[in-house]
Amino acid sequence: MINSSDVQTAIVADGAVPDNKTRRYDRQLRLWATSGQAAIEQARILVLSSSATSTSILKNLVLPGISHFTILDHSLVTPEDAGNNFFLEGPESIGKYRAQEAVRLLAELNEEVEGRADTRNFREFLLNGENNGVREWLSGYTIVIVHNLDKDLLETLSNILWHDDSFPPLVVVRSAGFLADFSIQFHEHTVIESHIETSPSLRIDNAFPALKEYALSLDLDNMDITDHGHIPYVVLLVRALEDWKKEHNNLQPKTYAEKQSFKSLVSSMKRKLDEENFEEAESQAYRCWTSSSVPSEIVSLFSDSRLSAPSASLPAFASFASLPPFFQLLKALQIFTERNGYLPLTSTLPDMRSSTEEYVRLQNLYKRRAEEEKAEVKNILIDELGGKVDDSMLDDFVKNTHRLKVLKGRKWGAFVHSNGGQLIASALETSPKQAATHLGLSALEDVLFKKGYSSLHGKAPAPQITIEELTEAAKATLPPGVTLPETEWNEVAGELMRAPTADLPNTAALLGGLVAQEVIKMITKQYVPVDGCCVVDLIETWTGII
Amino acid sequence: MISQSNGFATPHDWAGRYYHIDQILDASGPRTDPAFSAGDEVKDFLRNKAKILVIGAGGLGCEILANLALTGFKDIHVIDMDTIDISNLNRQFLFRQKDVGKPKAIVAAEFIMKRVPGVTVTPYFGKIQDKDEDYYMQFNLIICGLDSVEARRWINATLVNMVDGENPESLKPLIDGGTEGFKGQARVILPTITSCYECSLDMLNKQTAFPICTIANTPRLPEHCIEWASVLEWPRVHGEKKMDTDDPEHITWLYQTASKRAKEFNIEGVTWSLTQGVVKNIIPAIASTNAIIAASCCNEAFKIATSSAAYLNNYFMLIGTDGVYSYTFEHEKRADCPVCGGEAVDMSISSELPVEGLIDLLVEKQDIQIKKPSLSTANKQIYLQAPPQLEAATRPNLSKKVSELVPPGGEITVTASTLPFSLSLRITYT
Ligand SMILES: [Zn+2]
Repeated sequence: MINSSDVQTAIVADGAVPDNKTRRYDRQLRLWATSGQAAIEQARILVLSSSATSTSILKNLVLPGISHFTILDHSLVTPEDAGNNFFLEGPESIGKYRAQEAVRLLAELNEEVEGRADTRNFREFLLNGENNGVREWLSGYTIVIVHNLDKDLLETLSNILWHDDSFPPLVVVRSAGFLADFSIQFHEHTVIESHIETSPSLRIDNAFPALKEYALSLDLDNMDITDHGHIPYVVLLVRALEDWKKEHNNLQPKTYAEKQSFKSLVSSMKRKLDEENFEEAESQAYRCWTSSSVPSEIVSLFSDSRLSAPSASLPAFASFASLPPFFQLLKALQIFTERNGYLPLTSTLPDMRSSTEEYVRLQNLYKRRAEEEKAEVKNILIDELGGKVDDSMLDDFVKNTHRLKVLKGRKWGAFVHSNGGQLIASALETSPKQAATHLGLSALEDVLFKKGYSSLHGKAPAPQITIEELTEAAKATLPPGVTLPETEWNEVAGELMRAPTADLPNTAALLGGLVAQEVIKMITKQYVPVDGCCVVDLIETWTGII
Repeated sequence: MISQSNGFATPHDWAGRYYHIDQILDASGPRTDPAFSAGDEVKDFLRNKAKILVIGAGGLGCEILANLALTGFKDIHVIDMDTIDISNLNRQFLFRQKDVGKPKAIVAAEFIMKRVPGVTVTPYFGKIQDKDEDYYMQFNLIICGLDSVEARRWINATLVNMVDGENPESLKPLIDGGTEGFKGQARVILPTITSCYECSLDMLNKQTAFPICTIANTPRLPEHCIEWASVLEWPRVHGEKKMDTDDPEHITWLYQTASKRAKEFNIEGVTWSLTQGVVKNIIPAIASTNAIIAASCCNEAFKIATSSAAYLNNYFMLIGTDGVYSYTFEHEKRADCPVCGGEAVDMSISSELPVEGLIDLLVEKQDIQIKKPSLSTANKQIYLQAPPQLEAATRPNLSKKVSELVPPGGEITVTASTLPFSLSLRITYT
């Protein structure tokens, strides 16, 4: 028994006003909590070039508090750079190392973040990488980001980073004038806390024993009338469903007519006209026929080859504990669902009309059952499978099984090049604007490269490009017989011709935000990153995914 | 340094400064309006003539100011009534720890002028309502980066009212942005021509309001305990002393009071941070989302000011929680919009409904959103919330049936202090 002075001390101890760091990050902690923040504070970001787009991306990563960023860029600030980049000091920066100026001004945004300017010539560094440890160096970063990188360097870099799936993901950002696209090269990305807005099943159609027992124990007809108006709808529905099944060969309402008459049954249980808990039960009645079986998106995760070792050999699964923890948990979940037919229960209840006492009682029933089912998962994982995962990850996993996500990434360029170009060909049919924009940016990359124009430095005069050159480059990547959608292509190519090397401040800022959002999702493993290539058109103001 | 290459040179411009932007301004694209006059004329307008107002120097405002300055707007004004708080520093990137407590508008203006040579940013530390139509008339464009619905309704109604059919200059495009977590929206409003802010009020998320009886008698969630502490206990214990949600000591008191109640009712989950979140109605905010929405607003401003490309028609919505999802669409004007529609709002009520009931209905209506409405007809006052004498005089009407006071098809004028205009209701009875 705790006496009141103990309570008071406990409250004051953890109720102290948050420290400065918590206050500074308050508005983001409300999105990704301390776990996400901890991941951000360990992240090391490498960015090639310090273009306006690059510094815009970094700004949105330095502010939330990454551990470290390096800008790799040996170029000196040109007058052109000084005009469009907020992280250069106008004419005063001209002639200085662009990376050093940008790092200095970006680091001012957050004292907790370490910034480093690396002014080595990265063309030489990357192309001779085999000899000078470029792989090891790159693998020291959490994520690598490039903007408008020369085509040959981009290919080299993406090959190096794709080589080993422990190497950092590569974010490739391209822009010209009002048009842009970006995608993330990664092998696989797993998400437990996806924050997807689907609520877990309350399992009313298949109530667990303690809940069913409680619902059946209530003497609805004779209990105090106030208490009657305070029974949570979950309990009412479980009770009504049991009553219904007794009358209907143990079957749940299936047809429209049955569902309607089930609702009338709920309504007829009222003892007073205005019992709001019964009204709520009626409006939530659909939960009785929403099956608590395992959602197909989750079932599909079980087809991962790492989970399909023959079950006979499971106990002896030599390498099970060496699987990534997420997949150990997924295997345990698979076995759990095969035995039970549902996902582990979560203890989060929505609010509902009820007295405090009844609500807390129901909450405790759910909590106890959720603990039991979690213990079952843990038991499968550790005792049956010989797995090894820390408890806090197990907790998070079990709470989020209804919204787990596994993304399979692809190598940079795979979209246009693989399957003999079939992917881009079908995208041109289904989303011609998006596909044409993506193809146009690739064609531009090609043409600029062939002209020997390095997009690393903005320098007047802008290169002259013709629509024919772009069209030729685009056609070269398409499989025979596939044609460009004329209207969309002309709109894209004309716009690229107009502004082939323009890193517009607004486009840069918008990409800075979009890319930083994705990087944060990758780093925190919370929320769901983009699956595919994101295309941006700032003339009509849309984004699309191909 | 003076530029040689761009015709209308101004001091501070250096050769190559506008290399990136001039690629757009020197030539048309395939989707550019034929009226676009590429070259010196449009540059001169953008850099020497255009005058733009930014409302809000917070999360969106900081980004907006930086973008506008870099795109070449030279005469920028900014209004903000707030001072800098430490919790702004995770995204309001023009502010530093040493600036905490200073006015946002002033610090932001100084920073921009220091960083981007040749730009003049004129700050006003105060409320938008302090300024009159003459003030707003001087701008070509207005961009709004606000977190207050009330302020947005005010500026929207003000700009719609300013439109004078005889004077095309009186139509001021309003670009409005808003964010919440990984989500946001940007829109272009051409007052009286496109749908206005008021037209889309029903798209706002309804604020969760907890019934007072739940708070008082049957708390179930930690939020219920916090509301109990702030709505019921604070006035009971502290009497007239006003609660200041920016005062950490006040939050601590609320937190402790809510915690005690939660303990008593076996409710888990009251924390200091949740307490602060509930009483201040804190909306999560991050730099990246603000960057997206601010850039989109500024991009529309740039396109409208230069005609270099078509502008957004008229609503862009972005959701970044599950991949990158966005939706661009034309929000339709509402014929019965109380600000830009001109038609009275039709309302059908029971002939038995008392005035009090009508007031409740109005307060609940999502597309109207008023707190304390006063009602009158052309020739009589039905109920006035203030001043006290008139409130007392009209109070007996509260229990009368509306049908006793207003004939079928009659109009009721609704006003409220939170409403920058009056609303006409056409009443029919069932
Ligand atoms: Zn309107």
